[in-house]
This record gives sequence, C-alpha cells and structure tokens, in this order.
Amino acid sequence: MAAERTDPPAVICRAVAKTFAGGTEAVRPLDLRLEPGQTTALVGPSGCGKSTLLRMIAGLEPPTSGSIEIGGAPPAETLRRADLSVAFQDPSLLPWRSVRGNIALALSLARRPADARAIDELIALVGLEGFGDTRPAQLSGGMRQRAAIARALVTEPRLLLLDEPFGAVDELTRQQLAQDLPRLWEARGTTTVLVTHSVTEAVMLSDRILVLSPRPAAIVADIAIDLPRPRAPGDARTDAFAALTDAVHEALSQGMARAEPPLAAQ
Amino acid sequence: MTRPAPFSRRRFLGTATAGLALPALPRLARAQSSAALQLSWQHSVQFAGSYIAQDRGFWSEQDLEVTLLPGGPNAPVEPPVVSGTALIGISAADYTAAAVEQGAPFRILGVAMQKNPFVIASLPDNPVAQPADLMGKRIGMALANTPVLQALCTLNDVDIDRIEVVPTQYSAQPLLAGEVDCLLCWETDLPVAMAMQGIAAQTMLMADHGYALHSQTYIATLDSLANRRAELVALLRGELRGWEAYRQDTAAAAALTLQMYPDAGLDLPTQELQAERQVPLMFSESTDEHGFGWWSDAAVEDNIATLALLGRTVTPDLWDRSILEEVHGS
Amino acid sequence: MTTLALPAPGPRLRGLVLTLLALAGWELAARALTGAFVLAAPSQVLGWLAANPGLMARALRETLTNAAAGFVLGNLAALALAALALLWPRAQALVTGVALVVFCLPLVATGPILRVIFGPGAGPQIVLAALAVYYTTLIPLLVGLRAAPASWFDLVHSYGRGRWSALVHVRARAALPYLVAGLQIAAPAAFLGAIVGEFTGAERGMGVLTIRALRGLDVPMTWALATVATAVAMLAYVALGALARRLAPDAPPLLLSPPPAPARRQGLRAAALVCAATLALWWGAIAAFDLNPFFAKSPTDVAAALLTDADAGATRAKLGVALAETAAFLLPGYLAGLAAGAGLAMALVLAPQVAGPVMSAAIALRSVPIVTTAPLIVLALGRGAAGTVTLVAVMVFFPTLVACLHGLRQTPGQVMDVMDSFAATRLTRLLRVRIPAMLPAFFAAARMAVPAAVLAVTVVEWLATGRGLGSLMALSASLSDYDLLWSAVVLTTTLSALCHAAVARIEARVLRRYAPEQLT
Repeated sequence: MAAERTDPPAVICRAVAKTFAGGTEAVRPLDLRLEPGQTTALVGPSGCGKSTLLRMIAGLEPPTSGSIEIGGAPPAETLRRADLSVAFQDPSLLPWRSVRGNIALALSLARRPADARAIDELIALVGLEGFGDTRPAQLSGGMRQRAAIARALVTEPRLLLLDEPFGAVDELTRQQLAQDLPRLWEARGTTTVLVTHSVTEAVMLSDRILVLSPRPAAIVADIAIDLPRPRAPGDARTDAFAALTDAVHEALSQGMARAEPPLAAQ
Repeated sequence: MTRPAPFSRRRFLGTATAGLALPALPRLARAQSSAALQLSWQHSVQFAGSYIAQDRGFWSEQDLEVTLLPGGPNAPVEPPVVSGTALIGISAADYTAAAVEQGAPFRILGVAMQKNPFVIASLPDNPVAQPADLMGKRIGMALANTPVLQALCTLNDVDIDRIEVVPTQYSAQPLLAGEVDCLLCWETDLPVAMAMQGIAAQTMLMADHGYALHSQTYIATLDSLANRRAELVALLRGELRGWEAYRQDTAAAAALTLQMYPDAGLDLPTQELQAERQVPLMFSESTDEHGFGWWSDAAVEDNIATLALLGRTVTPDLWDRSILEEVHGS
Repeated sequence: MTTLALPAPGPRLRGLVLTLLALAGWELAARALTGAFVLAAPSQVLGWLAANPGLMARALRETLTNAAAGFVLGNLAALALAALALLWPRAQALVTGVALVVFCLPLVATGPILRVIFGPGAGPQIVLAALAVYYTTLIPLLVGLRAAPASWFDLVHSYGRGRWSALVHVRARAALPYLVAGLQIAAPAAFLGAIVGEFTGAERGMGVLTIRALRGLDVPMTWALATVATAVAMLAYVALGALARRLAPDAPPLLLSPPPAPARRQGLRAAALVCAATLALWWGAIAAFDLNPFFAKSPTDVAAALLTDADAGATRAKLGVALAETAAFLLPGYLAGLAAGAGLAMALVLAPQVAGPVMSAAIALRSVPIVTTAPLIVLALGRGAAGTVTLVAVMVFFPTLVACLHGLRQTPGQVMDVMDSFAATRLTRLLRVRIPAMLPAFFAAARMAVPAAVLAVTVVEWLATGRGLGSLMALSASLSDYDLLWSAVVLTTTLSALCHAAVARIEARVLRRYAPEQLT
C-alpha cells in the first residue's frame, strides 16, 4: 500500500475544451471544480463527451485548450505518482492473466508492493470469491467489470475515475456494489468521478451530479445530492430520492431540447 | 591461413612484405606459413592429388600449412583468390580469361587438366560419335554453355541451328528419361554416374575435336606472384608430387579421398572410376617430358584460338610459367 | 494456431489410412517411373537410410545445427528490428522497407560474398538461414505488437507508465501468438536456407549430399535426403505449433492485419528514405568488410554499368530479356499460388474433416527442397513454363494457406450466430462473412509471398531451367561479370519491392471497401 497518504485532491477544470482531429467538437469550454473527497457523477446522453472529459482529467487525453489541475498539479503529475485509477467502460483485463494477476498488475504498474491479502479482500468485496485464479475469458461480462473495479481500487488511489463501470453488472450485484463502494472510498478519502447514464445509479452513489448536454458537452445542471449516507437500495423509494432523480431527468431533457441537431434515438 | 578472416588486400600486402623483410632467419625458427587452396567443386577424387599432398606431408615438410577450401554450385573461385582468402584457386582458362577481362589480376601458374573434360555424352543406341552427329539431335545443357557448343560447331563446320538446345539442370536424368538425345557435360562426372547405373554412355571428348581449353588451372594474383612466390612454389610443388603419386595408384587416391572426407557422401567404386577416367586428361606426353602442370607454347596458341571462338581475347602472358619452372628446377 | 488439428480417434484412424494410401501411391509411382531416374520409392528411401545411418546423421546434425543457429539469430534480429520500429514509430517504414530489400537479395549474389567474408566453416550457412527467416517473423511480429485494444494501453498509462511498461506488460505478451505463427513459417525456411548456404562451399551437410546425389544420379539418396529434410521441417512446424498452444492457448484476435497504408506522399517519402538507407548500407558493407571491388560492385559501378559504360545498352538489353523470361514465370506462378492457398483454405472451411491430412500434405509440399522436386515436376509438366510456374506456386501457396486459415477463423462468433439465426448454409457464410473477414490476412500473405516467389523463380532458373534473371546471375558470377551480376541483383530486388508495393496498393483499395477498420 502507498507509503504516505495525502488528502484527496480537488479537481479544477478551467475552460477545458476538446476538439478532435476530424473537427468533431467533444467538449465545449467548461469550468468545473470537484471537491476533495466528494463523489461527482457526470450524467448525459450517450456520446455526449463525458468519457472524453473523464479521459482528460485522467491525463490520457490532452485538452485542446484550457487547463486541468488535480490537487494543485497538472494531471501528468498525478499520473507520475500513480495517484489515480481508472475503471474503463471496457474492463480491459489482460486475457492471459487471471483475475488475481490482473489486479496484481495494477499494483506493479503503480510501483506498489504486492499485497495478496488486499487483493483477496477486494476480490471478496466485488463478489468474485473463488474466481481469483480464473481467466477473464471464463467470466461473464459483469464479473469482468467487477474484476476491473477491484483492480481500480487496489492501488488505493486518491482520485478514482469510473467510466460506466456497472454497465454489464447484474441488478442485484450492482445494488450491493452501490452500497459497498462508497463506504470504501469514504473510508480511504478518495475523490471520485463517476460517468454513467443511469440516473438512479448517479443519485445512489454520488454527492453531486453534473448533467451534461449532448455533444459537445456543456454543463446544463449542477445538482447536489444531500441524501444521508450510508444509503441502501430501499432509499430509492423515498420521496427525496425521487425528487432528485426527477430533477436530473428534467435537466437531461432540457439539455436534449437545447441540442442541435437532435440526437438520434439511443 | 588456418583461421579464416576477412582478408583485405591492404592487410595482406602488409603481412606479405613483413614476410619478405625477414628472409635471413634460419629455416627452423621460421614460423610455418599458411595458404589456402580454393577448389572448384565439392570434395571428391577430382582433387585427390591435393589430398595426397596433404596426407603425405608434401606441404608441411616445406613448412607450408595448406587449407583446402571446398567449392560448390554457388562458390565461384575468383572472389576468394582476388580477396586473398585463397592463395591459389582452381579455375579454367575460359573463366580465368573472363575474370581478367573484368579486371582481375590473374595469371595461370599450372594446368592440371591438359585436355578439356567437356564431352558430348549420348546413349549407345543413338550415339553422337562425331560432331556432325549432333545435327538433328536434342542436346541437354545449361544455356550458359551455348558459347561452348557454338565453338565446337565452328571448329567442325556444324550448323548449330540444326541442333535443338534443351536447357536442363546438370544431370544425366534428362538423357536417361529420353527428354534429350545427348548432354554437354564433363567426362568425369555424369558419364561416370551413368556407368555406375550400368549404362555405358558414348562420350565424345570435345578436346579431340579442336576444343583446346586448359581446365583445372591453378590461378593466382599478380600480387601473390610478386610477394608470395615462396609459398606459391611450395604449394605447387606439393601439388605436383601429390598428382604424380595419384597417377601411380588411382585406387589408393580414391580410397584416401573417402577416408579424408567421409561426410562428402562419396562411394568408392564411383570415385575409383572417376579417378581412372581423369588420368588421360591430366597426363600427356608433354607432362611426361616436362612434369605435371606443364604446358607448351603451342598449347597456349591453341587455347587462345579456342578462347577467341568463345569471345575472349587474351594474350600469351596470361600463362606464367615462372613458378612451375622454379618447382621443376629445384 | 493453425497446425495439425489434434485428431479424435476417428480422424486419427482416417489419417493413418490416408498416410498409408499416400505411401502406397508413392511406391507405385516410383516403380512406374524407375527408368526416368526422378523418383525413389519409400522402400528404396528406407533402404538407403538403413545402409547409411552415420552419413545421414552427421549431415543432418551439421545442417540442423546451422539452421538452428540461423533460426535463433534471424529471429533475434527480427525482434530487435520490431523493437526499433516500436520504440521509434517513425522508423517503421524505413525498417520494414530495408528489411524487405535485404530479404529480396538473391542468394546467388550474397552466397559467394558471405563465403569471402566468413571464410571456410558454417558462417554463410548460418547467415543465409537467418536471412531466410527474419522477414517472415518481423512482419507478423510488428502486427502482433500492435494487436491490443487501445484501452490496454490506457490502463498502463493511467498508472503513469510509458511505452516500456506497455511493451513489457501488454505488447510482448499480445504479440506472442503472432511471433509463434511467424516462427512456424520460419522453421522450414531456416532449414532450406542452411542447405542453400552449403552450396557456397561446405565440407559437409544435407546440401553437400544433395548435390552429390543429384550429380551421381543416386535417386534413392536424393529422395532419402529430401524425405529427411521434409520430416525435419514438418516436425519443427508441428513442435512450434504445440509450443504455441501451450504458451498461448487463445487464438490471436487477428493474425495479420496490414500496417496502415501511408498516404501517397508519405509513401513516396518512405520509398526515398528506404532507397537512401539501402545505398548507405551497400556502400557501408563494402567499406566495413573491405570487400574487393572486383566482385563487390558499388552503386556507382552499377549505375555506370547500366547508364554510362560503352556496353550499357547491351547490359540493359540482356537484363530486359532475362526480366521478361522471369516475369513470364513469376506472375502466373504467384497468382496460381495465391489462388491455390486461398482456395484450399476455403475448401477446408467447407470440409473441415479433411483439414488434418491436407495440412500435413501442404507442409510436406512446402518443406521438400526445391532442388529435389524440380526434376520430378519438370518430368511431369515438361520443361516449358508449367514446371517453373508450379514450383513458384508451391512456394507461394503455403504461407497463403496458413494465413488465410487464420483469417477465416477470425469471423466473430456473434456474426456467425446471426448467420445461424438465418439458417445460412456453409457456402453462404463463407461468401458473406468469412471471405471478407479473411481479406486482411490474405493480403498480408500476398505481400509476404512476393519475395518468396521471386526467390523461388530465381532459384529454379539457376538450378534447373537456365533462363531468366536467376540463370543470368549465376552465369555472370561464373564469368566474373560482377557489373552485370549486381545490375541483375538491383533489378531483382527492385522487382520484388515494386511488386510488394503494387500488392500493398491493391490491398489498401480492397480493404477500404471490405475492412476499413484495418486501415486506421
């Protein structure tokens, strides 16, 4: 595990924009501050540019203009210290490594000491007991995504970036994870960014939801989720929860209406 | 040279002159010198005189250590001789003339095959016994040898257009399979192979029909002639003694070949027959009189005439008898 | 990996029966052809081997040792070149271009020079074996090193790690199946390279014995050597296939996707760079080895021979005639080989039950040394174009078959599920799904087969037919006309490179239509 723990960082985007080589404008100039230790969900229609924003924060994609700061330093610095983890939409497990091997790879890449116990605990946390030695090809899509989440967590990152990590996870497991994960990153003090198009998931997991317009991404709403923690699946039936999901849906439709040209059906 | 290395002309000149600078050292203290002899083909009884020289110490007793470099289908003799890897190469007058035309500083120092070994081989029931018999026949040969056939035809007033040339690989197989009526080949290889299969081929030696071309000639560069004379003399002296011994007992020469080169895939009866068949090509009245490797001025004139037919212009000074004279004179 | 499929008991029995039938057919054919001196029966082959076990074992040990050394060195060189291209991506076009040029150099020209450089011993054999393998390993390896989804590299980068970690943790392992596929093609090639290397003047080995046997009309010996050479090559192929299954049980996502087609201007620039590098290497090699200008002609010598010398016109005319003769064999043989390889691959998909025996026969055919089969094929097809064309086709056919089989297996499972739901026939699937999926692999094979075809045609011309560029090169070497030889070498190499570029151009056009994702 990391030798020294520092506080979770704030993420500040200043007029960050991205236009791809072909001329596609993915993100309009955008200002953003993500608070330390908070979980922020980016919600928007498919293809709106939220993954691009996430990749820019991760330092995997340079912005065309504007700047990003993580804990007062550029993303490259966070990368250099291996202080962040990304769970990608595609689980990106190496097919020739077992679940355990894939998780261990993250530790090795992040130059952290191998820690078999931590790995086993995380495998248990994501519900993959007994599959530690299994190759990805033998796992279901949902199991692979859970392995990828365990891999993202094992380095105890200060900044955790989750790009639709539950897409293929079954409903029951997803509820379980939605309960367990926030507890984990709260305890560890992690700034988390969650990209999702599931409104319920966003409300359940996050402290704050940013609703993005269709491409090019612009923030159409910034909604604080002040529901108490820990949250349980039953919370989704409360009025407060319903009000928040309604607000998010409302913002989403506004964003859609503003979009030009109208986006094709998903 | 026992240890092969890229041997540059410059470096080679350096060591050669260094050698010349120390002529006064007593014989016993002199480090053994070494030289390589580049053969023109894979090991076989074709070079048995050299094997005898090696085996009986005809070179080592002159303080010369000789490496025999085998040839092969993709091993032209001229490059190793030009670059100094080999002191002497075994070539033939036509190849040497061609190389000299291209600027190689070669001289012929000795002639192992007084008579050119080229024959027209045919089967007894459809024989080619005279050049005139070629007309109307299909001849199997490498197209590269067309000038050779052309020369034979010119020498004997045969119309080459009445011969059908079939390009074949160098093998008796097309003749035996009936694809051709005759072959252009060496007296000492394909006819011997056929004989071993029980087929007594008719062979017409081209040398008997005006095709005068020295074969298995010893060649060296002008540099070597100038700077490594002692080694050239020693090497050729060993060759001479080896081939004289060969002539005494060709069967023993064949046996020695197999003993020295067990990995060459040779068999004794074939080697014995080949050894016998090359004797008349290598020894003549002239060599009886003057010794192995000798040639007459008249032979040089005949060679120049044949080379002219092959499109090669050479002068008599391509042949340099000085080394041979030293060998025989001592 | 495409290898002999592990047969279940049923197919194993069928395989045994087929093998026995093939042996019986061979025996009968040999007996029928006794008078022709071209084919020995299996019984005669066994007889010869039983009578000469020591000779055979020593020759085999020699050639095998050299082939193994060349195999290792050649593949290490391929690894180094691939690493260079990977760590310095802008150099890739240069690396592959120069690698192609060196691979295309005719043996007739390189052999004697290697002999001068190395002197007696195994040097030329080892180098020629290495030269025979490095290119066919390099190309799949370059593809394999990139055969990973972008997200795997994102993963590595998200922990702040760079190219080196990506190479170690992702690329090296992802490239493994491709590497093994390359090694499989390389194994028989290394053996043949070592044999041809012995033609430059060797004391012992299979090549030495082959020449001896052919000249000596020793048909049983000739075929015993060919049989052993074939068996060794097949064993190496099968062993590497087994190794591949152990190391990388999962088939690679795609065998041979082509490198991105460069834009036209970029292509021209790369070509110019390759030419410049080749010239520099050429001059550099002459200087480094201090090669004698009598036989090592420099680019200026060749330019003079072709353009300014008094007999430049005659030289050009000779080359033109030889080129026309070579092209007449090369093109039909190349196309026939491609068609046969792709066609057989498709046939095997339609009738998978015969894949095992057919693959064995194909490997055997590819592994028999040309020098041995040439007389038989010439006897069967005559001395005209048919024989040479067939030999070229044999050389082209095998890599094409292997690559196409890989390609045909790439068809994504989901697409086949869709075809299932339409109850599509095997033929429909082949036409609609599998062939388009096969195209990238087919074209990659077509590109790699260009130098193989040129090599085959020049070797056959040199050893058997006595026409064309191969024969011209051999003749000019024996007559010390090294200006002509090197002019022919330049022409042959240029021919290979141009054909290669032409295939790449066609490939880009076809793939743009059928597999655009391969071009990005």
